[in-house]
Amino acid sequence: MKWKRQDMQQYLKSKEYIDTAIVPLLPFSMEGNDEDLLSLTYQHEVMDVFTERLEKEYKGRIFRFPTYSYLATSKIEDEVERLNGYYEQLKTQPFQFVFYLTFDAKWKKHEKNLEGQLLWLPILKDGDIHQEETKKVILDQNEQITDLIRAYWSET
Amino acid sequence: MSKDKKNQVSRRQFLNYTLTGVGGFMAAGMLAPMVRFAIDPVLQPDEGGEFVSAKISEEDITTEPKRVAFNVEQVDAWYESTVEKVAWVYKQEDGSIIALDPTCTHLGCFVGWNDNENYPEHFYCPCHDGLYTKDGVNVPNTPPTAPLAVYEHKIENGILYLGKAIPREEA
Repeated sequence: MKWKRQDMQQYLKSKEYIDTAIVPLLPFSMEGNDEDLLSLTYQHEVMDVFTERLEKEYKGRIFRFPTYSYLATSKIEDEVERLNGYYEQLKTQPFQFVFYLTFDAKWKKHEKNLEGQLLWLPILKDGDIHQEETKKVILDQNEQITDLIRAYWSET
Repeated sequence: MSKDKKNQVSRRQFLNYTLTGVGGFMAAGMLAPMVRFAIDPVLQPDEGGEFVSAKISEEDITTEPKRVAFNVEQVDAWYESTVEKVAWVYKQEDGSIIALDPTCTHLGCFVGWNDNENYPEHFYCPCHDGLYTKDGVNVPNTPPTAPLAVYEHKIENGILYLGKAIPREEA
């Protein structure tokens, strides 16, 4: 399911089946050097493709929420707190699994303070998303993440 | 009194006949295009969605379902996009080809063929354990309530082309 009216309509009718929430975490900044800016937009694109695919194949169980954006310069402890607020919101619905998807390694250190599961993916700093090589890498990572999510599912 | 055969049709009758005839032709000439316009949509050949190459040749299709991905141009109300579609393609026992839409009829996850050890030779939905037999018919007492949709298909120059996915009613 996506953050769309039509999908929400379907969600409301079948809440008990859609028990997995995915929230992408992406830093935002406009003040870095050119390289940083290119890298940020590239990561955004990859995240889009990535979660789009995930949602498409597991539409009936995964709800893909809008990206959580934060200033690249902000203190991560504050963001952890804010994100836990998101988690509280999600938990008012029957979600059993909440996954955060990110390329930003900053979160990793604070994982233990975070409600929900952090899935951190290393990624190339920059690249061309339309290139065959990049596609292959993305598809491969995608498969690994879905395997991981399915492993969580099968534990219940 | 008609003594003469020449006078069997009077002048008045003759004029009546010809005017009705000519008037009829004119009326028909005006009405025909109107009628045609009115029923025009019926006369249009049903395009049935365009067929897209699945990039697999007929010989490569076996009796074992194979996952093929193909791209379709999709026009939404707001934007146009290229969407990747997936089909499970195989030859049925009678040798005819069938292409199943992997979208689970329960809530829309993609089903996989033979990828769950508990359900060999079945299409299995990883989301809520939906099951379908090889012909795409849902197994009773699993979440889906309808069989998998079937893509329209045709073979051109030995290459498989796929069209719209046609939903099927419960068997």
